[in-house]
Order: sequence, then structure tokens, then C-alpha cells
Amino acid sequence: MATMAHPDNDMPARPNIAKAGLQLPAVKDYEQVDREIMATLRPSKGWFLCLLVAIFCLIIGGLAWTYQIHEGLGVAGYNPPVMWGVYIVTFVFWIGIGHAGTLISAILYLFRAGFRTTIYRCAEAMTVFAVMTAGLFPILHLGRPWKFFWLIPYPNWRLIWPNFKSPLVWDVFAISTYLTISTTFLFIGLIPDVATLRDAEKNPIKKQILSALSFGWRNSEAEWRHFARAYLFLAAFSTPLVLSVHSIVSFDFAMSLVPGWHTTIFAPYFVAGAIFSGMGMVFTIIIPIRKLFKLQHYVTLNHLDAGAKLCLFTSMVVGCAYLVEFFIGWYGGSPVEQQYWWNRVFGQWWWAAWIMLTCNMILPLSLFSQSLRRNPSWLFFLSFFINIGMWFERFVIIVPGLSHEYEPWQWTSYTPTFVDYSILIGSFGWFFMWFLLFIRQLPVLAISEIKEIVPPKLKRAHPGADFHADTPGDHA
Amino acid sequence: MSPNESDSAVADTKTGVKRREFLKVVGVTGAAAAATACYPNDKVEKLIPYVTSPDNTVPGVSTYYATTCRECAAGCGVIVETRDGRAIKIEGNPDHPVNRGALCGRGQSALQGLYNPDRFRGPMIREGGKLVPVTWDRGIQLLAQKLGEAKSKGQSANVVFINQHEQGSMGAFIDQFLAGFGAPAHLSYDAEAPLATLAANRASYSVAWPKLDFAAAKLIVSFGADYLENWGLSVPQQLDFADARAKLDGGPKAYYIASRRSLTGLNSDTWIPAKPGSTKAIVDALLAAVTGKGTAGLKPAADAAGVDVKQLEQLVKDLQTAKPSLLIADQHGETATETIVAINDLNKALGNVGVTIKPGDASLAFEGLASHAAVRDAGERMAAGKVSVALVRGANPAYSMQGGAKFADAFAKVPFKVSFSSYPDETTQLCDLVLPDHHSLESWGDAEPSKGVLSLVQPTMDPVFNTRATGDVLLAAMQPNAGAETKTAPAAGAKPLGDYRAWITARSGGVVAITKALPTAIMSGSSLAMAAPKAVASKSAGAATGDYFLRVYHSPALGDGRGANKPWLQELPDPVTKIAWQTVVEMHPETATKLGLEEGELATVETKQGSVTAPVYLFIGIRPDVVAIATGRGHTAYGRYADGCGVSAVSLLPVSEDARSGAAAGVTKCSVRKAGGGTRLITTEGAGRQHGRGIARAITVAQLIAGDVKDEKEEFVGQASNDFLPGLRSPVANDAQGDMGDPKSKDVGQYAPDHWSGVAKRRWAMTIDLARCTGCAACVTACYSENNIPTVGAPWQGPRIMPDRTGFGVNITRSREMAWIRLERYFEIDREPKDVVFNPDFDTRVIPMLCQQCGNAPCEPVCPVYATYHSPDGLNVQVYNRCVGTRYCSNNCPYKVRYFNWFGYGEPNRTQYAFPEPLNWQLNPDVTVRTKGVMEKCTFCVQRIKEAENRATLEHREIEPDEFTVACAQACPSRAIVFGDAADPKWSVSKLVNDERAYHVFEELNTYTAVVYLKKVNH
Repeated sequence: MATMAHPDNDMPARPNIAKAGLQLPAVKDYEQVDREIMATLRPSKGWFLCLLVAIFCLIIGGLAWTYQIHEGLGVAGYNPPVMWGVYIVTFVFWIGIGHAGTLISAILYLFRAGFRTTIYRCAEAMTVFAVMTAGLFPILHLGRPWKFFWLIPYPNWRLIWPNFKSPLVWDVFAISTYLTISTTFLFIGLIPDVATLRDAEKNPIKKQILSALSFGWRNSEAEWRHFARAYLFLAAFSTPLVLSVHSIVSFDFAMSLVPGWHTTIFAPYFVAGAIFSGMGMVFTIIIPIRKLFKLQHYVTLNHLDAGAKLCLFTSMVVGCAYLVEFFIGWYGGSPVEQQYWWNRVFGQWWWAAWIMLTCNMILPLSLFSQSLRRNPSWLFFLSFFINIGMWFERFVIIVPGLSHEYEPWQWTSYTPTFVDYSILIGSFGWFFMWFLLFIRQLPVLAISEIKEIVPPKLKRAHPGADFHADTPGDHA
Repeated sequence: MSPNESDSAVADTKTGVKRREFLKVVGVTGAAAAATACYPNDKVEKLIPYVTSPDNTVPGVSTYYATTCRECAAGCGVIVETRDGRAIKIEGNPDHPVNRGALCGRGQSALQGLYNPDRFRGPMIREGGKLVPVTWDRGIQLLAQKLGEAKSKGQSANVVFINQHEQGSMGAFIDQFLAGFGAPAHLSYDAEAPLATLAANRASYSVAWPKLDFAAAKLIVSFGADYLENWGLSVPQQLDFADARAKLDGGPKAYYIASRRSLTGLNSDTWIPAKPGSTKAIVDALLAAVTGKGTAGLKPAADAAGVDVKQLEQLVKDLQTAKPSLLIADQHGETATETIVAINDLNKALGNVGVTIKPGDASLAFEGLASHAAVRDAGERMAAGKVSVALVRGANPAYSMQGGAKFADAFAKVPFKVSFSSYPDETTQLCDLVLPDHHSLESWGDAEPSKGVLSLVQPTMDPVFNTRATGDVLLAAMQPNAGAETKTAPAAGAKPLGDYRAWITARSGGVVAITKALPTAIMSGSSLAMAAPKAVASKSAGAATGDYFLRVYHSPALGDGRGANKPWLQELPDPVTKIAWQTVVEMHPETATKLGLEEGELATVETKQGSVTAPVYLFIGIRPDVVAIATGRGHTAYGRYADGCGVSAVSLLPVSEDARSGAAAGVTKCSVRKAGGGTRLITTEGAGRQHGRGIARAITVAQLIAGDVKDEKEEFVGQASNDFLPGLRSPVANDAQGDMGDPKSKDVGQYAPDHWSGVAKRRWAMTIDLARCTGCAACVTACYSENNIPTVGAPWQGPRIMPDRTGFGVNITRSREMAWIRLERYFEIDREPKDVVFNPDFDTRVIPMLCQQCGNAPCEPVCPVYATYHSPDGLNVQVYNRCVGTRYCSNNCPYKVRYFNWFGYGEPNRTQYAFPEPLNWQLNPDVTVRTKGVMEKCTFCVQRIKEAENRATLEHREIEPDEFTVACAQACPSRAIVFGDAADPKWSVSKLVNDERAYHVFEELNTYTAVVYLKKVNH
């Protein structure tokens, strides 16, 4: 984002100068941007209702967890040797969701992909809240959650350290680093927008808070320069994290010797899946937002189209990974792997595997059609299937492997209980509660960056100033 | 502190003597005034159960008492480990001639009888339909009064006393007591006793139970005799059988001829699935064939039995070539004895008598047994109103008698019924007066396993409850003043006969002799013989009808039902079906298909006596025209662990008694139909076949002789990428990991072989000989007992809010059983059991699976908090306190031998608590009771290792080779498990790991396991 639009600027090329297809023809000037985007901060009945539902779901999850802590993990559906179930599935699911935000705001920024402008704030907030949600699950699934801090290397009298060979300890580092960086990234990017809010704010207390969050932003040229540099640095810094976090999460599985887990393809496969699921969740969130807050002329069909293409691409990467896994399962020649694969796809777990394949591999192929890519209703509908499919992908990785391991005597099944489901629902409640609170307090679209792609109001007519009257897409 | 002691403390306060109180106050306030002052008094707990310790008791050091097991008729010698006055473990007595140190699961579970939470707390009387507490004086007075009334009214001849059959003098003592009231001798009842075999043996060999020398035999043929389970003397038979099979190529081939392939059948090489009732035809044909009268009879016999004639021809060939052989039998029906006599004739014809069957070395375990017919006859007299007083001790005929006998209804009609049982059961529930006996671990007594050998029963601890030895009660009731209420029990000296202990002592040679014998509990002598049981005419209800045969067999774990109140036995998966906490109808998959049933669906089995409905279990080792149900479950009044669990199939059996022995048949005809609905099988079995993974391997004798033991054809590809270190083929790779595992690393601490502590010198390892292992699961119970493993199958141990998962075995339906050692029973078949077409020729492999203590353990690197790590002596250690419960270790364990505490099974204030008072008295104080949310697993009984090491250190010496062993190895009745230090060539285990049959499970995973299996040898 965020270099100033100045004709004679010798700063790096302006990444956000939108290509014609991504311009916002219906946005006339900066005042309109301020007015329309800040309108999302006004509470509505619908917003309250959504928040109520989210909190209700959170309470259900909270009660279920309380019950689980009191009684023991046995109230969940664990069926040894299936020692990890819905909680770890949901953990990986949310971590995956948490990838799209940083990908969109950082990697696409570095790659100068202009369509990110209108959706990145939303995706970034989603990232932070998804990682906050995911971070709960490793604690929640512990037999003794009150001892979770033993996984953290804190100085102690007994000189006992965590086992740095354990991928679970890597997880602790990976997730906490990622949460820190993505939160920092979100708040740094918010600075100019928060300043806008601050200027418009009447309530003195809120104004104080916003002043603090905007770091006293005065819109000076020097500030813009530093801001752009900091943003670029953070983008570069978080890019490897996008790849590393999910790689490390995948090591939880790949480092073990469970059939179906012990696979070298897991790191790239998980990253691709994470981006795919993140894009799915972005659609699930942004499409209702643009509709409810009447922001269709910001998040245009062109932007959705570009996002859908990314979605299609990652879907094909994921699909390719599935096929490679199948192939290697057969080609590896180990009967343990072969029997596991057969059981996964055609045996005991066929239904889960086929939900995964249908949702992640087959349905997204519809995005080859431009009309469907440009159809928000279809994208919204499809995004649900992507979310379900990606949840099941993790289910299919985790549960069938454990239920069909080396010892035939210990082959079992797995049925989650109402506690598992309640906590799953609770995690959605937790995520959406934060998200809803966020969109009420801070702009869900990046005001300053949108202003960059809106032509500035010039004192005199410019030869090209009326280009926005053209049909979108026709402009050279 | 036992309740008795607290009783006396109360008595002290009453009389104003507050010595105990005083001592308590001094002890507690003196040492810990500050600590306790903050708490209300009920928070003050006594750390040591004694105020005044008895002699020879050191807190924290075990005391061992030798005594005799009373859980079945065999009379094995046991050693009971007590700690601070409480019995905590039962093991076989190595000096005892019967069991030579081994002990079955039932024997070990006697502890859970002793500490059973449902035991009677004291004498009870029925008032207003309910049993209410009564004083001993009042109870004894009532007993004496009623017996006196019966005598004075001239009804003494109709007093019935049914005693659980046991060896020794007690029977004769009861008879003396009864004679004092003019009553007839008691009935020594045992529902499990092989009465027909006993009668036939008496007819053929003049002794009831000749010694069966399995080791001398080259061929073992069992006609339905489950010699590895309940038939006869289970433990010594297992020992002998295993010793015989351990001779490998010199060992015997085993045949099993019966309609259902029991555990004995699964351990036999050939199963001839003869139809029930067809044995006589087979035996006659065999006799003709081996005596040279031609083999023409084989074909008709095979047709009658519904078997392949080739199997019989092979048997004839084997009988002719493999000599000596051993033919044993257990038969059912009206001609059972006759059939067994014919089999014994075959033995004679083959010259086996005196060689493999030794009448000169007979067991006296079954002397004086009353027949089922006699008990049934007593029931008929009760039903006719002829019996005025009935007394029962230990036995539970109201449950265990055949349904056709309607014993419970008859018993209920007796005007005055007394029970001496320690636990409430179906029979006691009908009684008017309960005078609970001590448990056998609290009693004096004797047993005579073989002629001239007395095996003593001595109390191992103070009585848990206010019980009283029945011998003492009978003596008190015989006293002239028994009718009068007395304030205090009469002093021992005041009684004309003394107490029962004095009586036993006197007749075993006096105090000096008995004191000398007590350390081993074995002395020479002979107990009083019981009066020979009165012959009673047998009865038979006539031919039953139905499309299927119903085989009701005695459960190996629960027996005739007496084990059902012990959670260890309820939770012990049946060695064959692997079902726990549930009764199933076993049927062949073909039968199930015909009836439209699937596994787990409910089937109704109906006979004239009634019907039971239970889920179907598909068993490939049963004839398609037979269904089988195990006894033991379906109790209605046997305590919290038994009531409502399963169904009782004995109720389906008609009165069908063997004409000569009066043995009730366990086979009848029945109809089977689909009942609709289904349930989850409470099973520990995942998949019943190996899928070519080479877990339980076997070779044939031919391979063994040819020296080709390298590899049975395994489908499993892949091989270990590393060679095992030379000299230590098995267990050692790199004990520690990372730097520690690197031999070039400078500082490996205790892991260095030359470290002063010497820990790393040792390498604890285990071999399990599959040629010996029968799959009896005694090791499992031993492990539960030693390691405080919770049972998890009781209905209240599941989640409290979970409507779809309630009832018995709720946790086991989610595979949450905690057995650190389990027995995997694999059938060598090429398809799922449900698709199997009947074929008697299949191999079964049984393999005990426990933590393999891998040298390169997959569980260790994944634990984020080092709760599991590798010790220098090769143990895969689990630190319960450090575990946070990520369960990653279990995921990464290829053997799946880690167990998670899903609930607070070890926390007393929880509903899921596995040790309700006083079951918790059994807990081994050397082993942590695990809390909820932590992982646990086999530790190679690390507490025993440490105890041995500490003892050696205190005595300034090294541990002797084979000085100690782990609990499973100690109990193993087939001596399949050997534990020791594989790094020291003097230990047995270090020789066994180099056996040519040795292999590791999943060797290709480079886990370098410390458990080495020796391949099974098939004949």
C-alpha cells in the first residue's frame, strides 16, 4: 500500500495504482470513501443479532469446555488409538484460515497484485482472530490444560526445559510468532485509517484511544515515507512466516510415523490448503459485508473474480497434492500405507474422504467459468463448501490415520460427541464475536489504500480525469 | 486400620479408656500441631494404619504370607504380599506342588473378593423383607434355635447344607456339626466340576483325577476337555502343556474334538468340529481302528459327527504313530460318563495308562463332590416343602443351577434359610439370616491337593469387615448356651471345642508343627475325608427340540458366575471372544447370514426353559449348527459390578443329567431368531486378523527341523535399515537420544557405560515365547494388580451426560480399556470373519502386547515436556507428574500400548473412581495412582526393578541373575514371559534373545524393541 499519489514521485512504483480492471468507477472522491466506509462503524440491528448469535455459540462452547475440564477428556469422542480428534482438526482448520490474511496483505503486496486493496483489511483481521481461535485448541485438547505453560521455555528452578525435538514445541513458537507478527502488521497498516477515525471522532475517550493507535499520525510526507518502509519491511518479514507456520503445523503429522501422516509432501500441501481455505473464509466474510454495508462498488466483481482465480489455483494445487498422496501410498509399496489408503478412500472413511474431494477438488473447478467467478452468490455458496471441505481435509488426515495404524488389533473408529461439536461451534462463536466487534470499531476496508486508487480531485480538469466514466475493463 | 480396629477404638471410649485417643493426640499434635491446627479434625488422616505395630511389620516393607487359593477347587498355593497389614498382591507359591509359582487371573482376583465393596459388613437378618444388621449373638442364637427346633420336631433329616466345594477339612467339620443336630451330611457343590470325567475316571482308573502328564505325551487329544480353562486343575495343566509344547519339535501335537473351539481348541493344532453328542461314535470307530479292527467305521462316524473323514483318518494315523498319547474328555448329556469311559478304554488300548495318565499320583481336589443331581434333588425336596432349614456357604445354586431345576423358586420356599456367604448373591438374597464368613484370605483352613500333602490356609490380614469364620459360628451354635443372649463373645478357652483355628491346629499336628509349616503353608498330613456323597438318581427332561444346539460353557474368567463381582475379571476380555462386561451369543458367520443377523445385532435364544436376548458375536471357531453362550453374567443380586451385566444362559438349560455321574449337561437344543435392534459389542478386538503384518509369527515343526526359521512367508515388505549391534541382537540400539545416543559424545552422564552409578550397564528386556503362551490372560490380571490399573467398564465410569453411551462397558466401547498388557488374538484367515465359510482348519495366534521399551522409541521425541524419556538401563520411562496429556506419544506408538486417563479413575471423589472403598486397600503403595488427563503405560514394573536394586545395594552386592521378575512373568501359568537383564549373559533372558525363533514386532520401523518374541511352533 501506501505511497502517496504524486505524479512526479521518484519513490518505488506505486503498487496500488490499480489496473483498469480493479479500479473503482463508482467512487468519485475521498469524502465519499470516508463517508461510505466509516458508515460500517454504525451499529445496526443485524449486527447486534449476529453478535448475539456469536456470543451464544461461544457460551455453548465455554460450557462444554468447563464440563470437559471438570470431568476429563473422556467426555469428548476420543476412541484410542484415535487420540486426536475434532480439536486438532479444528486447530489446523483455523490455522489454515489464518493464512489467507497475511498472504493477501503481505505476499500479494510484494507481488503487486492490485485486487488485494479492498479485501486485505478484512482478511488481515480474519487472520488475527483465526490464529487467536486456533491457539485455543492445543490448550483445550490437553489432558491437563492448566499445565499448558509447561510447553513454554520459561526459566524455572528445576531447570526443566521443554523438549525442543517435539513438533508440539515448534508449534508453540510458530503460532506465537505468527500471532505477534500478524497483529503488528494489522495495527501498523491501520495507522492512517485510525487517524481518519480519530479526526472524525467526537467522544473524547475514544479519541484518546484512537490517537494512541494512530501513533499521532499527522499525514506528513515523512510519516508516509516511514510508514511505507515499515509496511514493506513487515510484508517481507511475514511472507516467510506464511510458509513456515503451516509447514510447522504440518510437521506435527509429518514427523510422526503414523501411516498417512508420515509424508514429505505435507509442508507445501498444508500451505496450499491453508491459502485455499483462507480464500474460502475471505469469501464467506467479505461477500455478506459488501452486501450488508452496500460496499459493492468498492469490493467489485473484478476483485472477487481475481480472488476466485487464486482460489481455483490453490484448489488445483491441493487436488494435485491429494493425487500425489494416493499415488505415493500405492507406489511406496508398504502394505501398511496401502491398506490405510484403501481404508481411507474406499473403506471405513470413504464418506469423509469424498466430502473432502468433492468440496476441495471438484466443486472449485466451477471457477473456470467466468460467470460463476463473477457471481457473488455462487462464490458465497462455494465458500461454505470450501470451509467444510477443508475441515474435512484435516479430519481425513488426522483421524483415519490414527484409526488404522500398524496394529490391526487396535483398529477402531471415531465418533465425536456433543462436547466436541459444542466446542467446534464455540470456536466459530469466538472468532465471529471478535470479528463483529472489529468491524464496529475499525474500518473493515482500508480507507487510505482505497483513496490511492481513487483519482484525486484536481483543481483543474485533467485530460484523463473523466476516465472513470468509461466502462470498467475497457480502459487501456 | 481395619474396621475391626476402629470398632475396638469405639469400645475403648465407651469404657472410658482413651488410650488410643491419647496416643493419637500425642502423635498428631506433637509432630504436626501447626499443620493440623488449621483444619477441622476430620481432615486429620493417619499415615500409618497402626498405633501399635504388630511384630515384624515395617512400614513400607512387605510381609508375605503363604496360603492356599480358594477361588476354584484346584487348591493352588499362593503367597500373599501384605503391606502395613493389608493384602495387596497374590502370587503363586513357587514351592507349592500344584501350581509351582504360577497363578491364574481368578486366583489373583481373590483380592477383589476380599475388598469387595459389596461384601456384607456384618451379620444380617431379614426383617420386613429386607436384610438389616443384627448382632452376632442374636444371629448365632437364632441359628441354634432353628436347628434345635428342627431336631426336636424330628425334621433334622431334612436340613440341607450346601457348601461351595473346597479341599480340606471344612467339609468334614460341617458334617460333624450337622451330625450333632442329627442332620445329614452336607452337599459339596461346584457348578464347574467335571463330574462326568470324575465318574469315568473312577470307573476306569479307580481314582477321580489321575495325574495327566502332558510333557510325556507325543499326542494330546481332547474330547471337549478345556484343560487350559476350567476343566480340572487349570494352572498345573497349563504349566505342563506349555512345558510340553516348549519342547518344540519334540512336543506333542494337539487335537481338539468339540463343537466349539475354546481357548484349548485354539491352542490345539487340529480342531475336529464334532457335533454335540457324536463323540461316542467317533471313539468307537477310533478304538476299532487303533486295535486293528479296520478303519471302516470311520466314515459313518465322521458322517454322524458332521466332520471330514480325512481328519479322523489323520487322527488314527497319529494315534498309531505318536506314542504315548494322552486322551482326555469332558462330555455332556445322559451318556457322558459312558463316553468318557470309552475314551479311557482307548487310552488303555494305546498303553497310555501309567505313562501319560498316572493314577498313582492322583489329585484329591474333587473328593467328596456332590453331583448336580444331588443339589437338584435337594431343590425338589425344598419345593415339596420337606426342608425346614437350609444353610448355604459360598455356593450360589440359585444362580448357577440349570434353569430347568428351578432351584431359586424351590429354595425360596424353605421356612428358614441361612447363608454364610461373604457377599450378597442370588441365594443369599433369599435367605433369612446372613452370618458372613471370613474371606479365605482372612481364614484358617487346610487343603489336601494330593495324598499326604496338606496345604494350609492362613489369614493374611485382619478381617476387613465384621465377619466371623463359619467354623467358629458353627462351634458357637453347638454350645449349650447358644440359645441365650450374651453380652460378650465367650472366651476361647471357655468353649468345649475351642475355635476353628484351634481345631485345625490340633488336627494338623499342633501349634509347633503348624508354625513351622506356615512359611510355605505346606506340610505333610492329611485332611479329614468328607463322607462320600449319597447317590441320587439322575433325571432327564427328555430330548429337547430346536434347530440349533446351544452350548453353555463356563467362562474362563468368571467361572460359574462367582467371578462376576470382581471388576478385574469382568474387564478381562474373554481369551477367545475378547468380550468384556457383556454376554454374547457366539455363532458362526454362516449361521448369522442364514438368520439375517449381523455382529452386534440382538438374537433371541429360546429353549423350553425360557429365552435370553443378547448381541451376536461372529466366531469362526464354532459349528454352524451350534450357538454358544458363556456363563457367569446376568446376575440380579451379586453387587454393583455384576447386577444387570449381561444375561445368564444357565437358565436356558433343562434338567438333563448324565445317568451315571449326575452331571448336568451344558448342551441342549434351542431355537435362535433375530430379536431386532442391536448394541455395541464391548470388545477389545479391533481387527481379528493380522493383514500380513507379521505381528504374531509362527513356523511349522518341519521348518524348525529343517533349520529354516528365518522367515515364515510374510507379506510385509521392508526391512530394518540398520543391523542390530553385534552381540546384543535384540534390545540395544541407542538408549538415549541425540547427544546421549552418540557414542562419541563427551558427556553422556549416567548413560555412559562406565558411569559410577552403573545404571547403563543394565539393559532390561523381555522374551515372550509364543510356543508357550496360551492366551489365558493371567498376566493381564497380574498387571492390573501390581500396577494399580483402573478398571473402566462399570456403568458409572463413563461420561455423566452422554445418553448414547451408558451401561456396562461404556468406556470399552470407545476402546478406553487400560490394560497395560493385552492379548491380541489373531485368526489366520484371508478375509473378514463375517465372510468366512465354515472351515475347521485355521490357525490362531495369540500374542501378549505390552510396551516394547524401544531403544529408539517413537514416543520419546514427540513429548513436548519430557514426560516420557529413556532411562540409562533401557526403560522407556513415563513421568506421570510431568505429563500434560497431549497424547502425541500414543499417536506415534506403533504398538499402541499407551493408555490415557480419560476420567479421574484414580480420584476418590469422582463418579468414575475405579476403587470404591475398600477396593482401594488393594492398591500397591509402590505405584502411583494416576490422575485424570495423564498418559500411562507398562514400565517393566520399574518399582520391582528399583526394589531389587535397593535391596542389592543395601546388602552390598550385585543383583543376582534372575533374582526377581516382573508381575506378568511371575504369574504366567505357561512360563512364556521371561524378564531380565539382556546385557548380562548370566540372565536367562540374554540367552533367549538369541534363540533362533526370536524376532521383533515391526522391526522395519527401527524401534529396537526390548521385547523379543519367539515364534510359535505349529505341529
